[in-house]
Amino acid sequence: MNEARVIAPEELIPSVPETIFLFRSCTGSMEYPGTENAIKEVLDKLGINIVMDPDQTCCSGYLLTCSAHKPELSLAVTARNLAIVEQKNLDTYMFCNGCYGYNRELAHILKHNPAYMQMANDIIAKQGYHYEGKTGIFHVQELWYRLKKELVARAVVPLNGLKVGVHYGCHYLAQQYQILDDGGYPTFQEELLAAFGAEPVFYKERQACCGYSVGRGFTHKESVVQPHLFKKFKSAKEAGVDLMTTTCPGCNVGLDREQPNLAKRYGEEFDIPVIDLSQLLGLALGVPLNKLGFEANTVPLDKVIEKLGLKKGE
Amino acid sequence: MMPREKYKDKAENLYKQVDAYNLVENLETCLACGKCVGNCPVASLNPSYNPRQIISDVMSGEARRWLDSEEIWRCFWCAGCYTVCPNDIHFPLLMMQIRYMAVENNWGLKYIMPFKRFALRAREDGLTFAPSEKGREKIKRYRRNLGVSEWPEISAKAQAEYKELFDLTGTTEFLEKLSDEAERPVRFKYLEGRIVGE
Repeated sequence: MNEARVIAPEELIPSVPETIFLFRSCTGSMEYPGTENAIKEVLDKLGINIVMDPDQTCCSGYLLTCSAHKPELSLAVTARNLAIVEQKNLDTYMFCNGCYGYNRELAHILKHNPAYMQMANDIIAKQGYHYEGKTGIFHVQELWYRLKKELVARAVVPLNGLKVGVHYGCHYLAQQYQILDDGGYPTFQEELLAAFGAEPVFYKERQACCGYSVGRGFTHKESVVQPHLFKKFKSAKEAGVDLMTTTCPGCNVGLDREQPNLAKRYGEEFDIPVIDLSQLLGLALGVPLNKLGFEANTVPLDKVIEKLGLKKGE
Repeated sequence: MMPREKYKDKAENLYKQVDAYNLVENLETCLACGKCVGNCPVASLNPSYNPRQIISDVMSGEARRWLDSEEIWRCFWCAGCYTVCPNDIHFPLLMMQIRYMAVENNWGLKYIMPFKRFALRAREDGLTFAPSEKGREKIKRYRRNLGVSEWPEISAKAQAEYKELFDLTGTTEFLEKLSDEAERPVRFKYLEGRIVGE
């Protein structure tokens, strides 16, 4: 592990952008549309403008890592999507660790292999695009951490006493350069949540994968994913976690949707709601519950909402 | 004397047979420290899945040992191995290519077929994992209740161009060729003399 790859938030984002390009996530806009909306609400409170573009497509990374297609497609798709952002002279902010990790990795490959850059540009030129490699690729959580003080200053609902178990998500931590924390033992999300009064819980299997990454939830659910998730939830429950947060809608699917199956198989109810970090920030900043889309969650949030003294419909 | 394999007995750069895309150029810097194995959630459940052993086999030109294995299909691609690797070896990109080789030889097709379906659907939608009609109703309801557009705002242009990229990169052809009829069975390898979880 190389310490130099960790970068301070002020160095990563030297000046706070007036406008960002928000990269649509397939899972974030379909499985948990409240995630995308929470981000928009929080950015609105910070006075940061959002640009999205209907011409942006899926990042295509997930199926690449399932070996369902060869890298040529994803290299071309990445070049095309990022070319769209470059035309607007903006930086790209992702809210899915998949979109973030795959775009970072594929852009890195493009920038360091002139032959691949040429190949991708030759293909997308047929559609009228050209990718130079200029746009910066960030995760929205990096903006949250960078603007910690500003966010806390706007908080209206204290998260006091809420025991939050953070799930970072592998594809953020696996980046080898320019991320906010040590992938081996990150703490910045806990630090952020503690600033809102929450009580972060460092449960034993905190860094264990959501298990769904790369399709094993489709092909090896019973043989690998469930025993793996059982360990994770067991340790979270023993540590008293009230709520788990993710920064990846894909992780959210694995952790939230699988809990009824774990209960059925192992006879143990975990009943730990799983939401996006941005949705929790939305709660703290007083975004109305109906703007956060918790109805899409398999494990209901009732206990958390009660603990925070909020009423449904507010 | 026990016969032992040595890398130098083999040709140079054998791992390029696996790393056809030149994505893992520093494989030879592997220290065999085993941090990848220690941090692997799959290895903790299935000890015969062993990234360090796989790297060693790939470097000595023995990647074929893994091609008909069940083990290689268990990797989550969580990249925990890459996160802790002292030499930043991107093992997941190697695993991706080992799986290509397996599929080329008709091993593990059953583990690719669900994604063929998803990929062909994504080719039409411009989005991955858009569900069938019934599931779409639920998404539309959630989105309506949030006060946003019923369906993610993706243009017809984006969908057409995404589809075109599948065709231009040979991906459509690659996907259409995949069929589980040619499936050859995979099994757990590396059983003898090793600790195996099942």
